[in-house]
Amino acid sequence: MKRTTARQKSEFFWGWIFILPTMLGLIVLNIYPMIDTIKQSFCKIGDFGKGSQFVGLDNYKKVLGDSEVWQALWNTIKYAIIEVPFSVVIALLLAVLLNKKIKGRSVFRTIFFLPMVVAPAAIAMVWKWLYNSNFGLINNIFHVNVNWISNPKLAIFSLAIIGIWSVIGYNMVLFLAGLQEVPKDYYEAAALDGANGFNQLIHITVPLISPTIFFVLVTRIIGAMQVFDLIYMMIDLNNPAWKKTESLVYLFYKYSFEQNKKGYGATVVVVLLVVIMILTVIQLIGQKKWVHYE
Amino acid sequence: MKKKLIAILLSAVTALSMIGCGGSDAPAAEGDGAESLGGSVEGELSIAIWDEGQRPGLQKIVDEWSEQSGVKATIQVVDWNNYWTLLEAGATGGELPDVFWMHSNVAQKYMENDLLLDLTDKIASSDKIDMNNYYEGIVNLYQSDGKQYAIPKDIDTIALWYNKTIFDEMGVAYPDDTWTWDDFADAAAKLTNDEHWGFALAPGNNQEGYYNTIYSMGGYVISDDKKTSGMDDPNSIKAVKLFTDMIAAGSCPDLATVSETDPNELLCAGKTAMAINGSWMLAGYRDNEYAAANCDIAVLPYTNTPDDRVSIYNGLGWAAAANGKNTDAAWSLIEYLGSKEGQTKQAENGVTMSAYIGTSDAWVNSVDFFNLQAYMDMLDATLVFRPYSRDTTVWEDMMIEKLQDAWTGDVPVDEVCKNIADEMNAALAEE
Amino acid sequence: MKKTVSNFIMYFVLIVVSVTMIVPFLWMFLTAFKTVSETMQVDPFVIVPKVWQVQNFSNVIKAMDFVRLYANTIGMIVLRILFAVLTASLSGYAFARLNFKGKNVMFGLVLFQMMIPVQIFIIPQYVMVSNLHLTNSIMGLVFPGIVSAFGTFLLRQAFMQLPKDLEEAARLDGCNIPQTFMYIMAPLTRSAMVALGIFTAVFAYKDLMWPMIVCPDNRATTLASALAKMNGQYQQKYPELMMAALISCVPMIILYIIFQKQFIEGIATSGGKL
Repeated sequence: MKRTTARQKSEFFWGWIFILPTMLGLIVLNIYPMIDTIKQSFCKIGDFGKGSQFVGLDNYKKVLGDSEVWQALWNTIKYAIIEVPFSVVIALLLAVLLNKKIKGRSVFRTIFFLPMVVAPAAIAMVWKWLYNSNFGLINNIFHVNVNWISNPKLAIFSLAIIGIWSVIGYNMVLFLAGLQEVPKDYYEAAALDGANGFNQLIHITVPLISPTIFFVLVTRIIGAMQVFDLIYMMIDLNNPAWKKTESLVYLFYKYSFEQNKKGYGATVVVVLLVVIMILTVIQLIGQKKWVHYE
Repeated sequence: MKKKLIAILLSAVTALSMIGCGGSDAPAAEGDGAESLGGSVEGELSIAIWDEGQRPGLQKIVDEWSEQSGVKATIQVVDWNNYWTLLEAGATGGELPDVFWMHSNVAQKYMENDLLLDLTDKIASSDKIDMNNYYEGIVNLYQSDGKQYAIPKDIDTIALWYNKTIFDEMGVAYPDDTWTWDDFADAAAKLTNDEHWGFALAPGNNQEGYYNTIYSMGGYVISDDKKTSGMDDPNSIKAVKLFTDMIAAGSCPDLATVSETDPNELLCAGKTAMAINGSWMLAGYRDNEYAAANCDIAVLPYTNTPDDRVSIYNGLGWAAAANGKNTDAAWSLIEYLGSKEGQTKQAENGVTMSAYIGTSDAWVNSVDFFNLQAYMDMLDATLVFRPYSRDTTVWEDMMIEKLQDAWTGDVPVDEVCKNIADEMNAALAEE
Repeated sequence: MKKTVSNFIMYFVLIVVSVTMIVPFLWMFLTAFKTVSETMQVDPFVIVPKVWQVQNFSNVIKAMDFVRLYANTIGMIVLRILFAVLTASLSGYAFARLNFKGKNVMFGLVLFQMMIPVQIFIIPQYVMVSNLHLTNSIMGLVFPGIVSAFGTFLLRQAFMQLPKDLEEAARLDGCNIPQTFMYIMAPLTRSAMVALGIFTAVFAYKDLMWPMIVCPDNRATTLASALAKMNGQYQQKYPELMMAALISCVPMIILYIIFQKQFIEGIATSGGKL
């Protein structure tokens, strides 16, 4: 009896020592800043961060009536609705193809993953030039005249295509890892039953790697909801698609850093926090219906 | 063996983490020490500007100053949009560059918040700087409460760039000082075909675009007391309509084109016959082979009589951080840049026209294949200072956004302009 | 017969996707060596530069100090990895293998952090960095990455999968908790540490907003942010812009190709277990 207490004591002591650096860091770097930002969202902040003034719910009332914020939220959701499903489905298909012992497997894998190691600024620059309606490769090769990034109806989809292009390889690698844990005999049994490739995918592969799919979905949705770099780099004030591509994070950046309305910027990012929380909770509840843990 | 090595490494890092955790204020203290050291011993000045085209020429002048003073100074270039974001972040955090450019858009805000070094006494005791030697509008711009916070760096005017080759090809006479804005629009129509447009302008081209026509046609952007917008003035609307009509007629590219490819780029690629631009753009055109071979400059057209030929003008100022590490050196540099010698060199190097009256003639001769005299001639036209208020960017960005609807023709110009005026009045009331 | 057809389709798909992935890089490369006029020539459309403009390279190198940018970027990445792996393996071990009061609440905090958009932290973090006089410094860049909630989570998973009897044996041999961690358990989670290192590197390398705000000075910032700022500056010089992009990504691509096995497997390790 006495021995277990000593052990418990020791575990308590070392447990806290071990988590101390991380917890201190999280509290200083994340929890405190979060509270501070939420506090700021109830304030009007003066020039250069001086003289903050409590304004109660004014910022939130303004958000509710601010069509620009709602438009930005809708833009962000549109981006996520395109980017996430396509990047997940395409990546899953590629992973299934590359899970077989085929020639050139590692070459393909390397190529698909390539965009992950390139700075987003470089990606945005080259795509901006590919998309250019007058001098771009795409329009000139296919002899079309499409305003990929300046047509307000189209631009957000063109941006989502870049998003998909950038992230396919990353998702695929995660799926490949998940697939390696699927026992081969499942497929052999299915093949004997006469199931074709597509049926195998739907009825065997997807359920078996559903935990990986779930993980990818949750993290990709959080990531897609925070889209900023691409829009920041590709769309400027002169662009007619500006209003239809501006994301919530972009709006936050604009208010906080370009227009010096830090209080209102904080409010926008709190809205984003709430939206992401809601989406994540929905997924956590929904997962019980389709994610199979062994 | 390998296992043992990893174990040792890990124990080392574990131990380190304990130390790092317990003595977490040690590195901060070290940082403080290094910084005070940096101020007195190393003493390198940081200079921030936003125009890459001017950097090489200015660095030359700065290097000459360094030779005299023994203090090193390096110029950082940050593009226009980020420049203000970063300057503002620096101001909030108390870390501005030592010496930097100030602009009419925000000068008032920076001066009121005591972020800029007060130069008044230093100017009084200087034998190189006398504020009477500079264009008055620019001097006044950088004054607040009777104190001077920046030394004028340059003056810029606006002129019309045109592509001689396209004019020749289409058989249109080159623009000259007899052109009215109507002549200009007619010429643009004649210069348009499948290969190129007559003229190009983006909603963001205000100072080098519709601001000039607004004042030329008798309108205004902002009232003298900075309280009301003039965008709903019938003359202002007419001035914007000049350009939107050209877009509707096809002699000016649509919004999509100019938003993807800047009018400057279109001119440098032979895609447009004319573009309006400020004198600060010289370096960009000079270094572009195509522009150097094909383009030239003329004065801006007028509306009714040559008296209403208007150029918006502006001038940057050299300012220093009030809390800089080495304000004496910063002042010494600014003093040199603002002196007759520094200003003459700036013009000779073809950087920009200088704010020091009478030193810009050298600039005209800095490039022989462009008629830079046009910009000098615009100094004799009716000069209107670039419209500004305390927080210019807020309404200027809004205006650019709203004008898009006028560019596409989705909303009639007068409605757009009235809209702009309403929002601008609201923004001005908040300042 | 059926097999050949499906093989053909499979390779067709793989090759089409590969081409899509490579063309932007190829275009970056070709554009980087063109003249400005060539980039804007449509009739005929120029694909390969007539004369390879090698001076674009020297122009860009002159305007941007790539060596320094690389040094900053790599310095930031290395420090972030060191901090993240260190703190995360300690806390990951404690959360996975030790029982102590308050553990669940603390772990809840870790999970909570993972769901929060990072932008919410940025302004207060920036204020802290500037109060510490760390703007325009490598430590300023590293600052938000000193601890990693994601890493803690990842390593907790890794520690949880180790067999229980290892620990028992160590305890019987007289090891105390730090010894068990250091000599027995931690070495066994090497692959998870590598995975965390790679994740940290990729995300630190790609981060744009933080370095842009905290290191406005071009000499102190990272490649990603210096490149982003260049975007606005070189409007009329697309080839030089592409050259800068090229210079910034070629070394990374080479590194990646050399280490691609570790790279991909590192990420795969984590994914499989989450």
